[in-house]
Parts: sequence; structure tokens; C-alpha cells
Amino acid sequence: MRKFMGKQDHLAVIAACQAAKAAGADDTLLRERTGVYLCVGYIPFDRADIEPLSRNSTRDGQFSMELYSTVALQQVNPLLTFRCLPNMPIFHVSLNLGIQGPYFITYPGPGQFYLALQEALAALQRGEIDLALLGAVADQDNFLVDWHFRRQRYSSAWTCADAAAFLCLEARAHAARRSARVLGEYLSASVEYEPHDPLKDTPIFAETLRLAGSEVPLDQAGYLGPASLPAPACWLLARGQAGELRHELRSADGIVARSDWRLLG
Amino acid sequence: MSQRVAVTGLGVVSPLGNTLADFRGRLLEGASGAGPITVFDPASLPTRIAAQADTRGLSLEHKDRKVAFAIAAARDAVLDAQTAGMPLRAHYPPGSGGLSIGIGLELFAMPDMVRLLETKQMPPDAHPLTFLQTPSDICAHIISKEHGLGRPPLTHIAACAASTDAIGVAFRMLRDGKCAWMLAGGADSMLNPLGVGGFCKLDALTRRNAEPHKASRPFDRHRDGFLLGEGAGMLALEPLEAARARGAKVYAEIDGYGNSFDAYGISEPHPNGDGALLAMRRALDSAAIGPGGICYINAHGTSTPKNDPVEALAIRRLWGEHTARAAVSSTKSMLGHLISASGAVETVATVICGASGWMHATANLDEPDPACDLDHIRGGPRRMEHGHILKNSFGFGGQNAALVLHIAG
Repeated sequence: MRKFMGKQDHLAVIAACQAAKAAGADDTLLRERTGVYLCVGYIPFDRADIEPLSRNSTRDGQFSMELYSTVALQQVNPLLTFRCLPNMPIFHVSLNLGIQGPYFITYPGPGQFYLALQEALAALQRGEIDLALLGAVADQDNFLVDWHFRRQRYSSAWTCADAAAFLCLEARAHAARRSARVLGEYLSASVEYEPHDPLKDTPIFAETLRLAGSEVPLDQAGYLGPASLPAPACWLLARGQAGELRHELRSADGIVARSDWRLLG
Repeated sequence: MSQRVAVTGLGVVSPLGNTLADFRGRLLEGASGAGPITVFDPASLPTRIAAQADTRGLSLEHKDRKVAFAIAAARDAVLDAQTAGMPLRAHYPPGSGGLSIGIGLELFAMPDMVRLLETKQMPPDAHPLTFLQTPSDICAHIISKEHGLGRPPLTHIAACAASTDAIGVAFRMLRDGKCAWMLAGGADSMLNPLGVGGFCKLDALTRRNAEPHKASRPFDRHRDGFLLGEGAGMLALEPLEAARARGAKVYAEIDGYGNSFDAYGISEPHPNGDGALLAMRRALDSAAIGPGGICYINAHGTSTPKNDPVEALAIRRLWGEHTARAAVSSTKSMLGHLISASGAVETVATVICGASGWMHATANLDEPDPACDLDHIRGGPRRMEHGHILKNSFGFGGQNAALVLHIAG
């Protein structure tokens, strides 16, 4: 671990390192021929960082620009803004694993994770990379993220959880050449979209995950945001589960997606 | 399936005007969009200047400026692409278009934050969707709905490289036949206390408060940091054959795209320009051309002490003996740094100037830094030769993106 990291950055780095290790991806594989495809959650400025900035900028219950510019800013870490930039998780992953390949970084929910999946698959098919680190990360146990979710009508019933998960994808032939252990297979996916005006309506959210036809409960840990597919997939793989895995999603931002995977146990 | 990808519509919201004619005219004049910050009181911040977008005629119905900018630029790009009063979307099957947008950070407004932390409640006058200036993602859905874009919108968040990534990914989707047409670009505004204050704290911004017009001076020996700007740029992209078939004007073609990681530092580039070099090489490979085919480079050119020499080094490393053949200029010398919107607005600038046969100069490049030795366009615009153009964007956090394009003949 290096540099100034926020919780979301830590979560992403830990999950990416675990995935790379599980895939047996060494330094030679991880340099220029590995790409990172990541979906991050809403931006979680830490309360511990923000409260002093706000408190030291407040006069008579109101924000004072004068106090902010002369007192509050003097007391914060110069890298404060960077701690919560949405591209910081992918930066820390690239830094810690020494990856210089291509990337795709998007946000903020499970629908966009599917767009990262599509980009990863396309890069593999074009032959631009040998390995795709496909992941999602969300630091959602956060007061600002809570405000984000309150804007969506369905969210009051949810418990939001922190989550990060990465899958290493590569072509079967490439995995065979390097004698990698294959944990599962991507079979197919579809991603569609229902355009809507988010200022006027919010599509109804629905999500299911089934392994060998049986439903896998997704609400035990809470809402996992963009990690709602890769995180349970990693749990199932870690437990040695095998069978056909189907994820179906109707996201609150209009993305309708489905994917099928085969877990090899 | 591999299709040529045409640029048939452009839209811009910028510190140098919001019509293409104004924008091009002022770029070729070498005008500056810089001035005192007026969108908020910068009080005692060490930097009190910026390049604010021209908001005359814009609907700022959304609290967040970048959302309003994106919506306006998208409308203009679509309007610019229409032929004989027939909307662009009418030429393609319903829902077959898509959006690829680089979008700015979710920064909150400090007054909102103070009220939230003081009262522990959402302020009663706050709109539930725009509270805390955090609707970056809703912008993509508003634009998709308005223009009937039925493909899932792609939202790119790689900081200063975001909108170059957005154009690049849209290009690839069209080239590979995965979409009928695309709107691609980006929008950003960090002109708020947290944005400006955060960059001040990093010592990243110019402090030439007394001379705003001279503050942004990429590659100049006396540069002292970047000038923060705001705005949006959008491009309508479609397959060249389809564009020709409907009689559309074609400004340019996108030929290649590549991106890379530095894997080095949060706020400073790899000292040898390794990541930048990789992104440029990948873009050239994607376009199937060599460096000798490039006649002009629209540089990232931020005017920071660290970035400019590293970009110059990376260009020299890539070009080798061809360096002298590629002219270089930085649009940021006039617009400032539009962060997530910079790649898109600078691509619009490159296309609109290139289509006139002239390329704008780097303003304020009075004394080129020897560490930034390149064939700079300075002192006035230069006649554009036919050839390929390289557009660079290098982001905080070491994400680098590059496009290859050429002006339509």
C-alpha cells in the first residue's frame, strides 16, 4: 500500500490484489498487457475529513468563504480532494499492481458494472490485452452516500454495505498456455437501457442471482451497489460452489441486464 | 466489421463563447477566456482567477453548472449534425444511438455541507436530486432521454482524461458496428470553493491574479500552474458511409484511440513520460499509422511546471527523428484547464480550427522552456497541412488517453 488512500481505494486495492493472486498473475503478466475495468460507487468523502473543513468554515451557522480560505483549508491534507476522486481506486490498483495497460472506469451502480464487463470482453476479443481485471468497489457506509441514496425513493428500505470484488478474465487458450486454474466461465450477457428523465421518475429496481436454478439471497450483507454481481460471485467461488450462475438486473437508472456464468467449483 | 467514423456535429460551451463561429474566431485570434472568479467569492484564496464559461443564453435550470453545460452542448451538437431540418436521430432506427460522456467530480457545495452538518437534515429548499451538487450521473440520463439514445449511457470518470476516453470509446463502438450513432464528449465545472480551494492546496493553480490573460502559458519558461476553466464539448459521431448517404457535412474522422496508466503518482506524471508514451503509441497503433503521419499535436499542455516537460519528453521519445514535423499547440493557453471536459472541448477546438485550414497557437508562449523543446505554434495561427492529428489528455491519477483524427478533405 502506498500513497494517500481513502477507504474505497483500500477496498479496491485489496480486492484487486486478491484476484490477481488467485489468478496466479505475476509481475510480467500485469504490466502492459493487463487492463483494468472498474465501476465505482458514489463518491464517499469521509466525514472525518469533511467535518473539520466545515466546522472551521462556519460563522453564525453559515458558511464563511473568508474562514474557509484563511483557516479551514490550512488545516487539511493537500491531497484531500484526491482522496475521493472517482478515479483514485483505479489509480491505486494500477500503482500497487504495476499495471500500465488500458482501462475503463465508470460509475455509479450495478448497471454500469455491465458496461465495464462489455469493455473488458471487447478488449480481450480485440487482442489488446491478455488479462482483464474486472471489478467494482463501493464505500457506501458513508454519510454522503446515504444522502445520495435518499434521493431515490426505494432506498429507505435498504441497508447499504461496503463492497469490492474483482474477477480476472482471460481467454481460455491464454489460461491454458500459462496453466492457470480456471474457476469459472463467462457464458453470455445482455445489456439494454430504458431512457428516462431522472428528475421526474425512477425506474423500479429489481435484482436476482440464481445458482443452479436456486436463488442466492442478495440482501444478507446489504445493498452492494456496483459490486452486487462480482462480490457474491467471488463468495460463491471461494466456497467452491459450482453450477450455472444467472444474474438479472433492472437498475434504478434504467439499465436492464442479464448475464450467465458457469462456476467450476 | 470495421467502419470509418465521421464527426458530423459539434457543440461547445466554453469561456470563449458557445457558438462554433465565436469559438473558432477567438481561438485563432489567440483570445483568453480568463478573468476574475465571479461565480463565487474567492475571498483570500491564493488563486482568484479562472476561465468561466459564457452562460449567456444558457438555461441553468439545474443547480450544477456542468449538467447545464452538458445538456446545452449536446443539443448544439445534434442541431449542428442535422440536414435539411431533419434531426440526426431520424436517419437511424429508433433507440440505436448512444451517449459516451466524461463527467466531472461529485463535489459538494460548502454552504450546503455546512447546513447539513449544522442541522443534521436536508435543507428544506434543496432539490432532492441536485442537493450537494452530486448529479453527475443524472446528466447522462437527461441527455439520453432528450435525444432518444437507447444504448446504455457510458459515463467516464478518469479525471482530465475522461472526455477523451469518452470520444475514444464511442469511436470504437462505431468502428466495430456496436452502435448506429453516438454523442460523445464531456462536461465539467470545478469553479466552486472546494474545487478551487483543493487545487490551491495542491499548489497546482497559477497565481497570476493581476494578469489573468497571461496566466495560462503552457510550455513557457515562466508558467506557474494551470488556470481552472469550465465548460462542455460534444461531438456527433456516425459511420462515414451513413453520414455521406444522408448528405451530412463531415468535419473530420476519428481514426484511433488508446489509453494507459502511469502507475506512478497521484498528481504528477511519470518522469520519463512512460504512460503518456504508451497511450500515444496505442492510439497510433489503433489508427494503423506511424508517428511520421502526424502533422499536428493538440497537447494536454496544462501550464504546470511538472506536466509540460514530461509531455514534451514523451512526444520526443515517440517521434524520434520525426519530432520537427509535428506542430504542437495547447488550447488550455486560452481556455484554461476544463478538467473532465478538457479533452472534448479541445477536440472540438482542434476540429473546428482544422476545418478552417488553420491551427491555433499556444498563447502566452513568449519564452519556450528548453525542457519543452517541440515545434510549437506560437505568435499566431499556422496553416494546417493535410495529415493526421494527435490529441493528448493526461489525467490526475496517471490515466492517459490519446486520439488520432484527421480533418475531412
